[in-house]
Formats: sequence, C-alpha cells, structure tokens
Amino acid sequence: MNRFDLLNKIQNILKDNLVICNIGLPSQELYKINDQPNFFYMLGSMGLSSSIGLGLALSQNKHVISIDGDGSVLMNMNTLATIGNRAPSNYSLLIIDNGSYGSTGDQRTFTDENTSLKDVAIGAGCKNVVECSGDETVNALNKAIDDKDNSYVIISKINSGNVKIDPIPINPITIRDRFRKFIGIVKYL
Amino acid sequence: MKISKKIIDNLKKGGVDFYLSVPCKLLANMIAILENDKDVYYSAVPREEEGMGICAGAYLGNKFPCIMMQNTGIGNSVNAIVSLLQLYQMPVVFLISYRGTPGEPVGAQGGMAKITEDILQTLRIPMLHCSSEKDLEKISTFSKHAKVVESPVAILCDFNLMKDDT
Repeated sequence: MNRFDLLNKIQNILKDNLVICNIGLPSQELYKINDQPNFFYMLGSMGLSSSIGLGLALSQNKHVISIDGDGSVLMNMNTLATIGNRAPSNYSLLIIDNGSYGSTGDQRTFTDENTSLKDVAIGAGCKNVVECSGDETVNALNKAIDDKDNSYVIISKINSGNVKIDPIPINPITIRDRFRKFIGIVKYL
Repeated sequence: MKISKKIIDNLKKGGVDFYLSVPCKLLANMIAILENDKDVYYSAVPREEEGMGICAGAYLGNKFPCIMMQNTGIGNSVNAIVSLLQLYQMPVVFLISYRGTPGEPVGAQGGMAKITEDILQTLRIPMLHCSSEKDLEKISTFSKHAKVVESPVAILCDFNLMKDDT
C-alpha cells in the first residue's frame, strides 16, 4: 500500500472531520481522490501540518486530523513535545510514514534507517501512540475519533511511491474561506 | 510589571485571545500574567516556526492569535510567515522583545537587532515600534489592524522599555 491507496482507504473517516493536509503530493493526491471543503490543503510551510492542526483543535470543538509525513515531522520534531503536553482530545495526528521524501523524488528519510517516530513521540510525552500498517490505519483512526478523552498519534507504515499528479488549482484564500465556512465562521460564501 | 500588564491589557482590548510564547527574560512578566489569566488561551511553545503553524490553526478556528518571542524568532520563521500566514492572509500579532537595542548587555544580540526591521520591511509586515510607555497605547488599535488587513503585524518592544519592568 502506498500513500494514494491509504488516502483512498480513509476517505469515509475524513469526511466528517477537519483535515489539515501536508504540502505537496499528500494534498494533491487527496484533492484528486475527493476534494472537500473540510480539507485544508497546505501549499507551503513544510513541517507545519501537525502544528496547524493542533492550533485548530485548541480553538474549536470539531475533531481535527492532521495528515503529516515522516519527512515533515522530522523537519519539525519539537511538534511532538508540544502535542505530548498540550493536545486536546479532539486532535489526531496521522503520520504517513513511507520512509521517503515522496514529493521530492522519494529520497530516503531517517525513518528508513535508525529513527523510530513512535519512540520519539512516546519520549516526547505523547500518550496514545499507535504504529500500524496501512490496513490497520482505518481502525486506529476510528478509535482515535471515538475516544472523547484522549488525543492520538498514529504512525501508518506504508510503502513509498506516488501517482503522477498536478498541482492543486484552488487559490489559498478559497481554501481558507471554504474551510472556515465548513466550521461555521465564514458566512459570505 | 506595569509595562507588561499594559501590553497584555491592550492586546486583549484589541481582541487577541490566543497566546503562545518562546521565552525571553523581557517577556517573563507577560508570561506570568498570561499563565494566570483564565480568559485567554496561553501556552509555551518550543520554537517560533512551529508557533506560526499553531497560530495559523488558531486563526482557522476563529481565534485571534499572538506569538511572543525575541526578534531572533523572526529569523527562525521567515518561510512559515510567507508561505503560510501571508499566503492564506492570516492575522497574527507578533509581540517581539527587541533584543540588541540600546541597553542590551549581550553583544551577540546586536546582529539580529541590526537586521530585524529590514527583514520585517522586506516581508511587508506592518510594524509598531514601542520605545516609551506612551507607545503602548497604540497596541490595541494596531492589533485590530492585523484583522482589517488580514496580515501578520509586528510590535517591537525596546530593551530599555522592558528592562526595568520588575
């Protein structure tokens, strides 16, 4: 299973939640599979998907799923400490760990060598850290959303590999405003 | 404490209700005030760039965020400011302790001080430079301005303004 297969598999879970999606191929693949207003596509700022999702979860009550990657988490690893100390129960971080920098040509990341993001997350203070296969990710995510008392970090170990895809054609303000409309903040669209 | 209280009061008057900080000794009093303030959200955060991401999410969730940091933090955050906050036009207040300005005892702080305003100017971020207590009265209007222009704005608090606020 690669990222595209996994994103397909979790579509039904994503549809009722607020989704922050990592820059590059993850967002482009998600857009291609099933574009939705409750998907916030990152067009820049690699590394910050988990942080944007955390800020959002702290600010309103809907469940937030940050879709992140191993390369991006490695770039902003302090995020796991912040999540371990501050994440509210309406927050789930899904790290799609394919051991490679998919958007830049599948160069290997350190999770393909010695680094375990599961161990890092636990060491950083995250309480419910689940490392699982792509197939097990659906159940792990459902459990995270159903648990109203705890936040979760799910590390989904999948294969590298991407589908050929175009950049997202929606402009950033449209992404922003339709997302905020879904939450109920923007009224004018 | 008087200066710090005035700054927080004016930020709150400007509508700011979500605060993060990467610490600075000049921000210590403000952090102490916020830690005991039940009306707003406050948390420490390990790195400024990460804080920019959290602020972006807070804005999406209808909060008006502020990140408090040293001017060095701007250097850590340039890409997040440009390709997140500015790209999506998100209002965030940067409350900056302006290390390296006159009164500063640590010579090494002078480097970032020399280029802080140039960086902010290059980024086209509106600036409010506070060097006296009277300047602090402008903070609430200036904060509201961030929402009007949908942009991050920067409030710079000089070393000498903050240093005796014990």
